[in-house]
Amino acid sequence: MALRDDFPILQRMVHGHPLVYLDNAATTQKPQVVIDAMNDYYTQSNANVHRAVHTLAGEATDGYEGCRTRLKTWFNAERAILTSGTTEAINLVAHAWGRANLVKDDAIVLTEMEHHSDIVPWQMLAEERGIEVRYVPVLDDFTLDMDVYAASLEGAKLVCVVHTSNVLGVRNPLEDIIRLGHEAGAKVLIDAAQGVPHDRIDFEAFGADFMAFSAHKMCGPTGIGALLVRPEVFDEMEPFMGGGDMIETVTIEGSTYQTNEHKFEAGTPRIAEAIGWDAAFGWMESLDLKQEHKRMLEIARYTAAELRALGMTVYGRHDDADSAVVSFLHPTLHSEDLAHLLDAGGYAVRTGHHCAQPLLHRLGISSTVRASFYLYNTMEEAERFIAQVKIILERFV
Amino acid sequence: MTYPAQLVELIEEFQDVDDQMERLEMVFEMADEVVLIPIDDWTDHTRVVGCQSEAHVRVSLDDGKVLMASAADAQLVQGLMGILTIAINGSAPAQALLLSPAFAQEMGILKSLSPSRSNGFRNMFDKVMLEIRGLVE
Repeated sequence: MALRDDFPILQRMVHGHPLVYLDNAATTQKPQVVIDAMNDYYTQSNANVHRAVHTLAGEATDGYEGCRTRLKTWFNAERAILTSGTTEAINLVAHAWGRANLVKDDAIVLTEMEHHSDIVPWQMLAEERGIEVRYVPVLDDFTLDMDVYAASLEGAKLVCVVHTSNVLGVRNPLEDIIRLGHEAGAKVLIDAAQGVPHDRIDFEAFGADFMAFSAHKMCGPTGIGALLVRPEVFDEMEPFMGGGDMIETVTIEGSTYQTNEHKFEAGTPRIAEAIGWDAAFGWMESLDLKQEHKRMLEIARYTAAELRALGMTVYGRHDDADSAVVSFLHPTLHSEDLAHLLDAGGYAVRTGHHCAQPLLHRLGISSTVRASFYLYNTMEEAERFIAQVKIILERFV
Repeated sequence: MTYPAQLVELIEEFQDVDDQMERLEMVFEMADEVVLIPIDDWTDHTRVVGCQSEAHVRVSLDDGKVLMASAADAQLVQGLMGILTIAINGSAPAQALLLSPAFAQEMGILKSLSPSRSNGFRNMFDKVMLEIRGLVE
């Protein structure tokens, strides 16, 4: 598979075995072009952005702003604020939009499926402002209870929903969620951290007011992400962090602020990371993401079926639009033990509550083992993974 | 770091094994070495907080010597508890407090000793040492 050759890390050995990296929902590996782009920036163009007139500063600014331009083109969005990742993007909405627009007794609608990063900022704001937080339950088939969702919209000002669950891989009915939310007069935020790596979203057609995601889950660097905002909602946001780069003028009496995205990007930004992310987009541009998604889902379906046959409980459904995430549990072998044993054979999987404790509580469990597949994973790796699980079960159960 | 003789012997045994799976199997076998806290006696007081697995420890003094009792639902964590039991049970508290958690790395069992949710051993080790300190202060 030629694509794999672009990822130097896939050549490494772990405990004497070839690495099989199946922790992609946590972070993906980086192709050489991303590593090179960041290296080139530091070796050739390192300078601060938006300030000096020298050559290096110009190159750095072009590189940084090139990432923003790419985001706007890739997602068909008018406003793209660069953040440290999904978590900061959601916190930015809570501080910059929430504080300016939500008051006591307003309501926010969340779901039981959310990652902690889409729960905790709202709980903090709710406590501070006396805002009601409503949660849409997850049904036994791992989908959201859309009847409860519709009923919970009464008087709601904001809906925050995960695009695709990082535990279940379930892709939510976002089009319905956004339409119903808007009909009720609420703004809608989509946590798309697990969505954008698999689905090239047209933000304008999608209709959400905010969309948050991270670079590192789509072959880009860690430490950078974005918040896309609809232009009319962007104008409702107040600055959150004050400092350099976000101002227009500063006097002893007070300050005025930029009116573009820089207003929310105080301080020296993540320049190398933006350049690396831009390179990741460039690398992904040549792929047929829809076809790749189908291929990855096929691998996930195979893995889920085989694990079930081995007596595991698999959490998720693997429908056509879902992501290639397989969460599972053995009835007696602890998830942490299984993960250590898999690591001994070179297989990298995730265990734990995946920063989604309310969801796991709803499922009546405290952890799962999670194998998550991405562009460079192959069916052959999945087959070897299943063979390794069989060996472990024979030896340790 | 100077370890107690019984722990040095264990470290050497582990270092002699090349295969990581085999090494983990040895740790799993050490789970039988713990002075077991029955599941009915698991409380918030005994719980190791921030651990992926359900892990419990209780330390007391028996005739002035450390007596660590423990249990975990993950075999690996309980196995590491078993190793720690061998290392400190019957020692004077001052001697037990000299122990470094680095032995788990030296045995080739853990890559990282940073306290975190994924590192049940380190969280457990820190709680044991805190309890020993509490007993002698």
